[in-house]
Amino acid sequence: MAHPHMVPAVPPHDAALIRAWQGGDEQAAAELVGRHARPLARFLAGAGAPEADVDDLVQETFIRAFRSVDRFRGQCQFRTWLLTIGGNVLKDFGRRAARRKVLPLDEGVRDWAGDPHEHAEASEAEALLAAGLLQLPRLQREVFLLRAQQGLEYEEIAAALATTPGAARVHYHHAVRRLKEIVK
Amino acid sequence: MKGDAMNSDAMNGDARLENIAKRLGNGAAARLDVEATARKVVARLREQPVRRVTWVQASWLRIAAALVIVVGGAVAVRQTFVRDSSVHTAHLVADDLNDLSADELRDVLATFDQIISSDSVAVPEGSTDLHELDAQQLRAVLRSLEG
Repeated sequence: MAHPHMVPAVPPHDAALIRAWQGGDEQAAAELVGRHARPLARFLAGAGAPEADVDDLVQETFIRAFRSVDRFRGQCQFRTWLLTIGGNVLKDFGRRAARRKVLPLDEGVRDWAGDPHEHAEASEAEALLAAGLLQLPRLQREVFLLRAQQGLEYEEIAAALATTPGAARVHYHHAVRRLKEIVK
Repeated sequence: MKGDAMNSDAMNGDARLENIAKRLGNGAAARLDVEATARKVVARLREQPVRRVTWVQASWLRIAAALVIVVGGAVAVRQTFVRDSSVHTAHLVADDLNDLSADELRDVLATFDQIISSDSVAVPEGSTDLHELDAQQLRAVLRSLEG
């Protein structure tokens, strides 16, 4: 018997599109890109992706996701799963960039605060927050973005990151405490 | 009052942080040409289709490698034990009893233990346990078994 509060982890429409893509329907893949590309771009940019590379990183994330979609078991929403793949893509990008010595800072992700021209439209607080996020451990940064930027529940975050809701909550509070000191 | 004010400040701080976080990356997202991105993704997927067969092959290779390791290990262990026991037996059969140590003589006796009745064995007086015998006494017991 189904639990009365249980909701499907994958919205039916996403699930249907995933099945259609698995059956070879390219239009279904395009529809999924159209639906989730902007939130993914926000997440990547928030996590430190240089704006000039956001498009490429979004593409790479979808390519990886579609190629490994057989491993997606509906443990969380498709978008949440996609964002965690985006985090891995960004990490790999940072490593490659660090090897090329293009990006000097932690994990190869660029210092937003030090590049005011490209982000001239960003407010001072946003720039401070972006710079502060780069100082956080990756897990804290991703939990913070999934919670504060994407508005996800701890249970959803925990399912996507293979941790517990309690641990996700702790990571979030650590992140908030450190970011408040930076942004105030 | 002071505590309430501090809590209120903290909540305001959290809310402010979340508001800023919600705006983070909006510019990059707004500038993304979603349709173009979708076309590029589909084109790349078409050029480099999902290689499920390769994945299956890789999985089978891993399974086969694991089987080889397990079976090979089992064979190696088995051969080691079989070789040890056969060498030991051949040694006992081939050598004169005088060359055997007390432990080896006890091993030989143990192999005969099941087929020898207690009354046919000339156990020295005063001894009730073969473990208490020295090498000379054990040789005497074995010679009595030879008839």
